[in-house]
Amino acid sequence: MSEGEIVPNHLTELRRVLADTQRVLPVGNGTKQPLCQTTDSTRVSLRSLRGIIEYEPSEFTFTAWAGTTLLEIVEALRDKRQYLPFDPMLVEAGATIGGTIASGLSGPGRFRYGGVRDFIIGVKLLAGDGDLVQGGGKVVKNAAGFDIPKFLVGSLGRYALMVEVSFKVFPQPPSMCTLRFDCDNHEQAIQRIAMVACSGWEADAIDYRASERIIYVRLAGPDGAIDRISTEIRTKFSGGELLTSDQAHSFWHSVTELNWSGFDRPLIVKVPTIGKRFLAICPAMQDRPGVSSHLSVAGGVCWIALDSEAHIGWLDGLLKSQLLAGLVVRGQSDRFQIGQWTTNQMQLAVKRAMDPQAKFAGV
Amino acid sequence: MTAIDGLESIFPEDRLLRDDAYRAAFESDGLTAFRTKPLAIVIPETADEVIAAVRWCNEHSVPFVARGSGTSLSGGSLPVAGGIVIALNRLNRILSLDPHHRIAVVEPGVVNQHVTNAAAPYGLYYAPDPSSQSVCTIGGNVAFNSGGAHCLKYGMTSNHVIGCKAVLATGEVVSMGGPSVEAVGPDFTALFCGSEGLFGIALEITLRLLPKPEMFHTVLVGYRSLQAAGEAVSAVIDSGLLPGALEIMDALSIEAAEAAVACGYPPGAAAVLIVELEGPRERIEYEREQLERVLAGTDFFAQRIAVDEVDRLSIWKGRKSAFSAVGRLSPDFLVQDGVVPRKRLGEALVRIEQLARDAGIRVANVFHAGDGNLHPLIMFDGKQEGALHRAEELAAKLLRLCIEMGGSITGEHGVGMEKRDFLPEMFDAPSMAMMDRIRRAMDPKLIANPGKMFPGKEAPALGFSGIHPLEKAGVISRE
Repeated sequence: MSEGEIVPNHLTELRRVLADTQRVLPVGNGTKQPLCQTTDSTRVSLRSLRGIIEYEPSEFTFTAWAGTTLLEIVEALRDKRQYLPFDPMLVEAGATIGGTIASGLSGPGRFRYGGVRDFIIGVKLLAGDGDLVQGGGKVVKNAAGFDIPKFLVGSLGRYALMVEVSFKVFPQPPSMCTLRFDCDNHEQAIQRIAMVACSGWEADAIDYRASERIIYVRLAGPDGAIDRISTEIRTKFSGGELLTSDQAHSFWHSVTELNWSGFDRPLIVKVPTIGKRFLAICPAMQDRPGVSSHLSVAGGVCWIALDSEAHIGWLDGLLKSQLLAGLVVRGQSDRFQIGQWTTNQMQLAVKRAMDPQAKFAGV
Repeated sequence: MTAIDGLESIFPEDRLLRDDAYRAAFESDGLTAFRTKPLAIVIPETADEVIAAVRWCNEHSVPFVARGSGTSLSGGSLPVAGGIVIALNRLNRILSLDPHHRIAVVEPGVVNQHVTNAAAPYGLYYAPDPSSQSVCTIGGNVAFNSGGAHCLKYGMTSNHVIGCKAVLATGEVVSMGGPSVEAVGPDFTALFCGSEGLFGIALEITLRLLPKPEMFHTVLVGYRSLQAAGEAVSAVIDSGLLPGALEIMDALSIEAAEAAVACGYPPGAAAVLIVELEGPRERIEYEREQLERVLAGTDFFAQRIAVDEVDRLSIWKGRKSAFSAVGRLSPDFLVQDGVVPRKRLGEALVRIEQLARDAGIRVANVFHAGDGNLHPLIMFDGKQEGALHRAEELAAKLLRLCIEMGGSITGEHGVGMEKRDFLPEMFDAPSMAMMDRIRRAMDPKLIANPGKMFPGKEAPALGFSGIHPLEKAGVISRE
């Protein structure tokens, strides 16, 4: 990923690069390769602007340079028994916090307390003209001004260059356990997911490995409490299996690192969905060799793995037929937007407002 | 041609209100210090009528203010002189409620509490709970990104709005987000939330519903000093618990609440702390023991644990009534809504006390301690010459204190009319310029709720004549 990339070492240098470069595509460590592709922009990596600037465990907040790796953040939080509840993705692959915001990726834990958008509280960004702009703040509750930090979640580096970001964090639950349930078919799985999601059990995560027809439910809390809740759930479903901690770690890790499919260097596509829409695309996916899907966030997102780029056109058509949008986040692909993406006047107007010099890649 | 020619073809006579009596009825909102009579009020019954009204405004360059129940505490729905008010109360349909996917699609005039009522049979609820939730509307909540007592754990309105169809000030109808909690592309829904009506009007809002907590555990703790209550908050937070609510009231607000609703708070308390845990029974049984241990290590002198839902609500009644109850101590008061970092709460309270003493003004304090959200209640008598001005001067100092401490000028009420002059003190010129450009992208003619959020020249009449009538009647209360 380093070819053709500029890696400024500090803010002043970053500003100079921004001024001297006609068009910029901000990137982090390049873990989401399709989102780093560009033909008309210079990739500028923020990976050297890294490090936690402030971390106040008693405030439940931290501020970090955008190029800080998730690993560094996750470890610093863990030391204080805190965490980002949305299960940051691609931690081990080397993803940065800035790239996580720009790509808008949240893991299975998004189900319980929300995703990246729900935990970002502030941002400092460089506008195309080099101005340093503040959005949001550093306190957990704030309703002043437009919510630019949340807006940037999923913005793919098209509007501004994030340099510093602030997040809210939560205390880590004392313990977790994972249950799995076999399902007869996808319809039953979606029913069961809804049942758990609507219950007072407060599941921490609910995912579904479609190819195996297995639901995974993660519980979080004091040991004794989650033991009792897991017993109650298994009674309710007349079965289910409690995973060992190694099995559980391995399963959730395969989701957050997007390597569950077993394909060699797969393309991974993020498709926001809901249960019934997933059911609409499921038959086509299961009939097609080289395609594997994983439903996460209790049906809120479907991760689709393709064993080669040859499937992209097919998937594009499938998603369009159901008015679904897909974002290609991993693998070798020239395309990152597939399915039903729309552009309206509002989007173009906001792009012009935030990036009047058209310094960043187009939307 | 009159200023509203053409509106008659959109609205029948009984939904296009022009006479003085109606204009007076809409001249103010929850922030009664400001009042302005609009040119007219239109009462659409369908989204198409809202769109038509906005397009008419755009075509004729007439400013408009969208209004729900008018409970804004920052003057957010204050009319604009020469503009029209688009009253959305009749767009009060819950368009769909899908328990399977835990979402509801509602019109902007739906009352917050009604969403929870509709979701209750499915074991679901809508989490954001501003104190005026029995009357405030979802459209207003979206515009001002309203909060409530449970923000620490569940976030604010924007954390629960996953999609929105809106008409922008330009007349363009746009859809943002969708039925999924996840999305691809920039989060326009989040940008729209909290935009204070400056972009346009929400027509359909998609809300995320949560399973109703199986159990609550609510504890009221009395302390001999505010500092001791503040230290208890830190102890709870540091223990790793994540309560649904962590609230503090000081002696003055306790006195007011006691007089108003006889809430039975511990006599002689300089401060009370309300801690509420919520979740599955199995977990709460563990967490309540943990909380007991934490509180045992604090310097409290009285403790009351809610034994049932009635008892729980009686604890909350004191807290929820505190603001309007202050009306018993003072003919008038201003509610402030600042945020400081939680660890600086104690310092902030000492500084507030000093500033109040210097100004010779009584200030009661109620706050969402868990997220550092202060609500100082500045008491004054509006009939006394210059009293409102002095109260406002003190309010300004308190807001500047929040900025100086690294906090915010608003945690949940929004900037609105009230704090528009302070936004540039929180955000520097380039940041203000960026927000101004975004606003103009959505509303090039600056006709959508002009005069709010951004400092402006439009100056409404300033006066004060007591608390809001609904508040006086006990229908609404301030968070």
